Amino acid sequence: MISIKAILKAWKFVFIVMIFVLGINETQAQSGSDLKINEILVYNDSSCVDDFGMHSSWIEIFNTAYNSVEIGGLYLTNDLSNPKKYYIPKGDPRTIIPPRGFIVFWADSRPTRGILHLNFGLQHSKTLALFDANGRTMIDVVKTDKDHKPNITYGRIEDGGTAMGFLDKNTPSASNDTRVKVTGAQIFSEMDPYGGGLAIIAMSVVFSALTILYFVFKNASRIIALDFKKLFSRKKKIDIAVTPKEDIPGEVCAAIAMALYSYRTTLHDIENTVLTIKKISKTYSPWSSKIYGLRKLPRGN
Amino acid sequence: MVEHTSFFEFIGEHLMQFGSYTAFANMTAGHLIMISVGLVFIYLAVAKEYEPLLLIPIGFGIILGNIPFYPGLKVGIYESGSVLNYLYFGVLQGVYPPLIFLGIGAMTDFSALLSNPRLVLIGAAAQLGIFAAYGAALALGFSPAEAGAIGIIGGADGPTAIFLSSKLAPDLMGAIAISAYSYMALVPVIQPPIMRWLTNSKERTIRMKPPRTVSRTEKIIFPILGLLLTCFIVPSGLPLLGMLFFGNLLKESGVTKRLADTAKGPMIDVVTILLGLTVGASTQATTFLTAKSIGIFALGAFSFMIATSGGVLFVKFMNLFLKEGNKINPLIGNSGVSAVPDSARVSQVVGLEYDKTNHLLMHAMGPNVAGVIGSAVAAGIMLSFLY
Repeated sequence: MISIKAILKAWKFVFIVMIFVLGINETQAQSGSDLKINEILVYNDSSCVDDFGMHSSWIEIFNTAYNSVEIGGLYLTNDLSNPKKYYIPKGDPRTIIPPRGFIVFWADSRPTRGILHLNFGLQHSKTLALFDANGRTMIDVVKTDKDHKPNITYGRIEDGGTAMGFLDKNTPSASNDTRVKVTGAQIFSEMDPYGGGLAIIAMSVVFSALTILYFVFKNASRIIALDFKKLFSRKKKIDIAVTPKEDIPGEVCAAIAMALYSYRTTLHDIENTVLTIKKISKTYSPWSSKIYGLRKLPRGN
Repeated sequence: MVEHTSFFEFIGEHLMQFGSYTAFANMTAGHLIMISVGLVFIYLAVAKEYEPLLLIPIGFGIILGNIPFYPGLKVGIYESGSVLNYLYFGVLQGVYPPLIFLGIGAMTDFSALLSNPRLVLIGAAAQLGIFAAYGAALALGFSPAEAGAIGIIGGADGPTAIFLSSKLAPDLMGAIAISAYSYMALVPVIQPPIMRWLTNSKERTIRMKPPRTVSRTEKIIFPILGLLLTCFIVPSGLPLLGMLFFGNLLKESGVTKRLADTAKGPMIDVVTILLGLTVGASTQATTFLTAKSIGIFALGAFSFMIATSGGVLFVKFMNLFLKEGNKINPLIGNSGVSAVPDSARVSQVVGLEYDKTNHLLMHAMGPNVAGVIGSAVAAGIMLSFLY
């Protein structure tokens, strides 16, 4: 008979394995989900040219992650009823998008021109989507039925962001955000030329961090010393007979110690009735033979 | 093919060419000055025993980096593809400092701090030197990022200084690292006069309560809670604080003795050798001997003095609120800078000058290790604001 405990244990095991498996699937999908369709140019009259010198529509995909992501094995399509329209081949180093990097595909319906040339165009498309390797999970989609103008790109205002719109500049393989960025150091330089502000902020933070440490460890010994078992256990109304403390005479202590010693020394861990069968023989081997010893030099004639 | 009139002409021409490759042909006064600096470092380490584990590798590295050579042979530390350049990668990318912190964590006993947690605040006060030097560097015309990197010298923590300068001002890293380590070695010279000047004879003889025994549970909980509490506030300090507390957990858990022994033994030794040698070698005369470097050295001394003063004065301030018998000896205020254990040793030596039986070493170790945490937190703040 299988006990209930055993069934529960088995279920626990299955549950843990399921979480693990689901976790792995989630992790695998996560790398693909880091990709975003970042910028598209539908009508390319005078913008950048492809490796064949042609002005073609293009699609820029951005890797939002801080690790490289392989786009090979995923699908691009302009038809949601056919998610596997263009398979991005695996194994080409160009399909590995560096951290926070970009890849540009040419939507020119000329797949024979290389793996970066798609088998569809954008000019008569309504959507553009990126599908996961299973061909079912949509990673990202962009509507392309807007009123697109020649040489004006449409995409995310900030790389990987949610806000979409027509962009001021064409930036294939580069950040969409072309505004002048002010670094933290520049802001401090302008607003805090003598460093007083930073000193106040930083010293406050250092003091806060170490003050928290102080308060925590000031009380840590008290918290550790608490007997939680006693604190949370139900109080049982049992009368425990408290024996009054008495001084035990030295002779009694000596007698107890002697008794304990005698008891321990007479204890047997292993009974001494074990039979030992030992084969005593000398097996011959040429390796151990003195006759064939290598140190024995052949006698000269 | 080059034509030679005779074989001897060919030999002579190549000997001349070889001569142009030698250090003698490429030597400048700057190289000689830097080699002398390297020799002084080695002398201080051997004769005076000032931080020999650091000054010997750095001093030798300075000599190594300042042997002039014909460029393009892939031998210099700044020439990509050279062996020294590969080793220098660990400095440039901030790999070595967190590894050093791992070792420091594995060899540091935080019991002194845990037995008297209020001493942790002295470690915070001594970080004042960092921000005073930051302001002074701005006034001298350094950019905010450069000023932040220079300011961290006041934390008296070599690995932290290298870590931060590699992010904020990589071109000044050599000067900042040399300055930080030089002043760390000179802690016994710089700190005592300031300590004496800021305290009176009564304060110097204050006896502190003996530290209580810290339980093993407290020691194990400290690195875990310490990491969570500090890194949740300053996540940018994660590489340094994470490794510091991890190393300490290896030590205190008691079940990873082998790992702790490796972290505080062979590993920290290897990293110290690589770090010291490459930082020393990065001080090539052509890049090091500039007006900026002199400014950095001056600011380094200034930040050390302010940090020491900050610690001592803060103890005096704390004493205003403490009852008689609980007061803290201000001579341990200097050890809020994280030069472990040199500044704590200074507290002990100066304290014994005024009372032969008043041993301050164990008390000074508290703010000393708190200073390590404080300077790493300060570096994290600098990084998040100025990077």
